[in-house]
Amino acid sequence: MSGQKETYVYASLKERFKTEWLIFVLAFVFILIADNIGQIEVVVGKGKLILFPIFYAIILGILCGPQVLKIVKPEHVKAASKLVVVGICPFIAKLGITAGANIELILDAGPALLLHGFGNLLGPILAVPVAILLGMKRETVGACHSINREYHMALINNIYGPDSDEARGSLSIYIVGGMVGTIYFGLMASVIGMTGWFHPQVMGLASGVGAGIMMASSSASLCAIYPEMAETITTMASVGETIAGITGIYITMFIAIPLCDKYYSVLEPKLRKLALKPREEKSV
Amino acid sequence: MRYIEWLVLFILGAIGTGLANFIGYDVGFMDSLPGLVVLIVISMIAVVCTKVIPLKLPIVAYCSIIGLLSACPLSPIREFVIQAANNINFTAPFTMVGAFAGLAVSDQLKTFISQGWKILIVGIFVMTGTFLGSCIWDQLVLSVSGVI
Repeated sequence: MSGQKETYVYASLKERFKTEWLIFVLAFVFILIADNIGQIEVVVGKGKLILFPIFYAIILGILCGPQVLKIVKPEHVKAASKLVVVGICPFIAKLGITAGANIELILDAGPALLLHGFGNLLGPILAVPVAILLGMKRETVGACHSINREYHMALINNIYGPDSDEARGSLSIYIVGGMVGTIYFGLMASVIGMTGWFHPQVMGLASGVGAGIMMASSSASLCAIYPEMAETITTMASVGETIAGITGIYITMFIAIPLCDKYYSVLEPKLRKLALKPREEKSV
Repeated sequence: MRYIEWLVLFILGAIGTGLANFIGYDVGFMDSLPGLVVLIVISMIAVVCTKVIPLKLPIVAYCSIIGLLSACPLSPIREFVIQAANNINFTAPFTMVGAFAGLAVSDQLKTFISQGWKILIVGIFVMTGTFLGSCIWDQLVLSVSGVI
């Protein structure tokens, strides 16, 4: 993805499809199934939780994997993770167009938007004490510093070393995010949207947490809750995600990781006595 | 990846999006077509940017910026781009992403389960804190600056 000299995974396009054709066939089958089921709204109290076709597609994907139905092989799994980027590009482009069409919204908000991204730091602030109380040690720092997408994990590996406890913690949350993150972001946005605490424009912006698929999920939920504000929400989500994509790595590197490390060192001795005793846990 | 690989993959992705747009939202494939072409072209320009611009931005950042530029008031093709993209429902490209994402994590299912409930709880706190914190902070910033 960078400007460096790249090495190609496949010798040719033909060779790529010799491996990947199955992924595309499955993807089309999933679309047929998932979009036929369509959006399901579950009324909960005054609000509603919205289930999107993407949720079913994710679950179908996991079920077809080498650990359940064994339809795809490990090499497909590896190929699929590269294809996520291919799938997400047009989606982000679409949001960019919406943002361009509503550019006055962005210009009105102006430079204040650049400050978006610092709010992510509440993640570690809330999660570190929880992790310590659950008996986690240095893994806490890796696990809690961010939502742990690829680039966060790369940073942690870089700073603490790939064999460190911190890197193990980071990987654990990366896996949690991959398994349940998209669905959770959609449901969480529905719930927070229902509370009425925040302006829809704000929640749109906040959806841009630095993971395209999670942003997509939460903004889709918000649009379903506030259909009359859909353009505003997607515009802000697009801006938020773009800003997070650019500033996120610096905020993580210079603030989130050092903060999380320090916070853990201060808090751990105080909470140690209250923490759950670690049982023989299987490590990752 | 080579340009040709990106292009063919984007086209396949666009067919998936068109399919989802038809099944989920009853938009015929021919009506989706101009929008799909616009999205492929923007994505391809983004690919070129990542290859020629030395700045290390993620490809999605380029997609977003180029999408914005193509639809902003300065763009000569603004009307066409907006109209074309309007026919693509915003969640339509999304099902295919889910299919890839699900397959991509499918080999981690056992690890996920063996990690146990504690990691899951920590993950939920991280995700909730990240989104909620962004909401609180952004609300503060946008209120203070008089935007909302």
